[in-house]
Amino acid sequence: MKTVIDAHTVSKTFNPNTIPVHAINNVHLHMEQGEFSALVGPSGSGKTTLLNLIGGLDKPDTGNIIIHGIDITKLSPNELIDFRLHNIGFVFQSFNLIPVLTAKENVELIMQLQNRKRADIEKRILSLFKQIGLEDKIDTRPSQLSGGQQQRVAVARALASKPQLVLADEPTANLDSKSAANLLDIMAKLNQEENITFIFSTHDVRVIERARRVITLVDGQIHSDTARVETEPQTTDLATAK
Amino acid sequence: MNTSLAWRNVWRNKMRSLLIMASMAIGLFAGIFVLALYEGMLRARVRTVIDTEVAHLQIHHPKFKDDYDPAMILPDQEQVMRSLDQLKSINHIAYRSIAQGMLATATGSAGVQINGILTEQENLVSQLDKKIRDGKGLMVNKKNAIVVGRKLADKMKLKVGSKLVLTFTDKESNITSGAFRVVGIYKTNNTPLDERNVFVNKAVLNSYLNLGEASHEVAIILHNDEDVQTVKQRLQQQLPTYAVESWKENSPETDLMVSTINQYSSIIIIIIMLALAFGIINTMLMSVLERSREIGMLTALGMNRVRVFVLILSETVLLTVVGVPLGLLSSWLVVNYLSAAGIDISSFSGAAMSGFGFSSIIYPRFPITQLPEVMLIVIGTALIASLFPSLKAIKLQPADALRQ
Ligand SMILES: Nc1ncnc2c1ncn2[C@@H]1O[C@H](COP(=O)(O)OP(=O)(O)O)[C@@H](O)[C@H]1O
Ligand SMILES: [Mg+2]
Repeated sequence: MKTVIDAHTVSKTFNPNTIPVHAINNVHLHMEQGEFSALVGPSGSGKTTLLNLIGGLDKPDTGNIIIHGIDITKLSPNELIDFRLHNIGFVFQSFNLIPVLTAKENVELIMQLQNRKRADIEKRILSLFKQIGLEDKIDTRPSQLSGGQQQRVAVARALASKPQLVLADEPTANLDSKSAANLLDIMAKLNQEENITFIFSTHDVRVIERARRVITLVDGQIHSDTARVETEPQTTDLATAK
Repeated sequence: MNTSLAWRNVWRNKMRSLLIMASMAIGLFAGIFVLALYEGMLRARVRTVIDTEVAHLQIHHPKFKDDYDPAMILPDQEQVMRSLDQLKSINHIAYRSIAQGMLATATGSAGVQINGILTEQENLVSQLDKKIRDGKGLMVNKKNAIVVGRKLADKMKLKVGSKLVLTFTDKESNITSGAFRVVGIYKTNNTPLDERNVFVNKAVLNSYLNLGEASHEVAIILHNDEDVQTVKQRLQQQLPTYAVESWKENSPETDLMVSTINQYSSIIIIIIMLALAFGIINTMLMSVLERSREIGMLTALGMNRVRVFVLILSETVLLTVVGVPLGLLSSWLVVNYLSAAGIDISSFSGAAMSGFGFSSIIYPRFPITQLPEVMLIVIGTALIASLFPSLKAIKLQPADALRQ
């Protein structure tokens, strides 16, 4: 098994000079390739901050974060951007897609930034849209897609660059339970098929149930970190609801 | 992809993009129109100065202009004539004698410059026949005939047929005077000149001045404006003891006006460009701030600063690419129409304009020669102005932008 995340004594304090907020406090985290983990905890517990630190969107005050062998706390801002382009896929809570681009172009954009070959891009796009079940919506603008469909396109985009790690910050927060279950199905399938590591933050118990590992944050510290027994096939009430 | 993304971003807020394109077009239009107006005014003015006032070149006794002493005639008129004969670039020549004097009527008196002229020559060199508004002019072969300007005629209550007396000093500094009868009243766009200059036959003036066939001044019209400097040099070489002057020296106010107006037009263009720049900065900054979340997301996904910068910059470039041709085309159409129709500004500033020797109808000219310069300025302004929003865009921190 390859190690994807190796984070030591990571802390992040906002507004250190005024009213300090210790958003992340002395966190250690280790993750292997192919894991499918949920990051849970009440609002304000530091989920977004931790994902941002792991994804190289923010720098910790202390500690090292080693992603796939690279200590990203040592990278310059430009190196970080390039690192994210090749190693991290992001799915955000909302307003995820560029509204003026079609579903296909949104996914394509990332691969073009990577200077991938035209033929490669076309092939990858076709297979991704097949996997997310939106082959017929390929040339549709985001505004014509439902929230659930938009998040599926966002997942396809996150995977387009063949990253080491996909970070999804509350990806189902704006979705109804049917769409949420569907999105989780797709994420789980891609996790299996492409062996890509997923971490998603959530409050939703029904989503938590889909994870194979649950990391609970309280006040910026890891309160518990438990592996869930695989009770396959996962037929929760969510999945049956679709 | 980047260009197509930029192009689609441009059309996200149609109203705003149209507004900024329109402001670029209007900026360019205004710049070109101002230049066209000035170019038209200046050309007309320079044309008038050369064709009806001071000709291309004049030759005098070097001391004549000091105090217009009638004794300062051209020392060797034969030599002058021979020199002029050799030059093919010369079109027309007029010989003149000149005296400063006093014009008196029953009602009053005024200081005037009395120009003794040869009518046929003068019609070619200063188009005197075309300026006559009343009467027949000096063609009437009457002794002691005089042509006066409209402005002077009004002031001195002169009509065609009126009598007046001219008093001046002759070659030997004796005061002499003669009675004249108005045979014509002329008018130009240059009222101060009209008020000052009167015309009599050269032979008549010369007999009063005791000059014989001599002249004080030769006025020369060339075939081409561009030859002024070279012909001036040639003549000065051949006639080293004479003063040879170009229209710029004989009408320094016109030369000054040309350079002053050029300065004004640069100032006006700078002001227009500043307005344009602020418009672009304002609009594009707004557009960047509105999309800060999206731009932050693109950075998060791995779009590097250069690409983000280029994206925002190309949005402005695209606006410019549409706005500039629009401004060019509209100004070209309008200026071309007006260059034939003319703009009559007499209703608001006619009197003021002719006080400076300008016609009250302006025929603007498309400033072809300055066009590349103006376009460069507009495009440069747009690019420089768009640097600020582009810099703002790359300064967005993805984590902060996404949190909003
Ligand atoms: N940029 C910031 N400036 C100041 N405080 C922040 C900033 N980002 C997050 N915080 C604070 O850090 C804590 C953790 O926030 P966050 O990571 O967003 O939690 P979660 O995603 O679990 O809701 C909160 O108290 C939040 O107010
Ligand atoms: Mg959060």
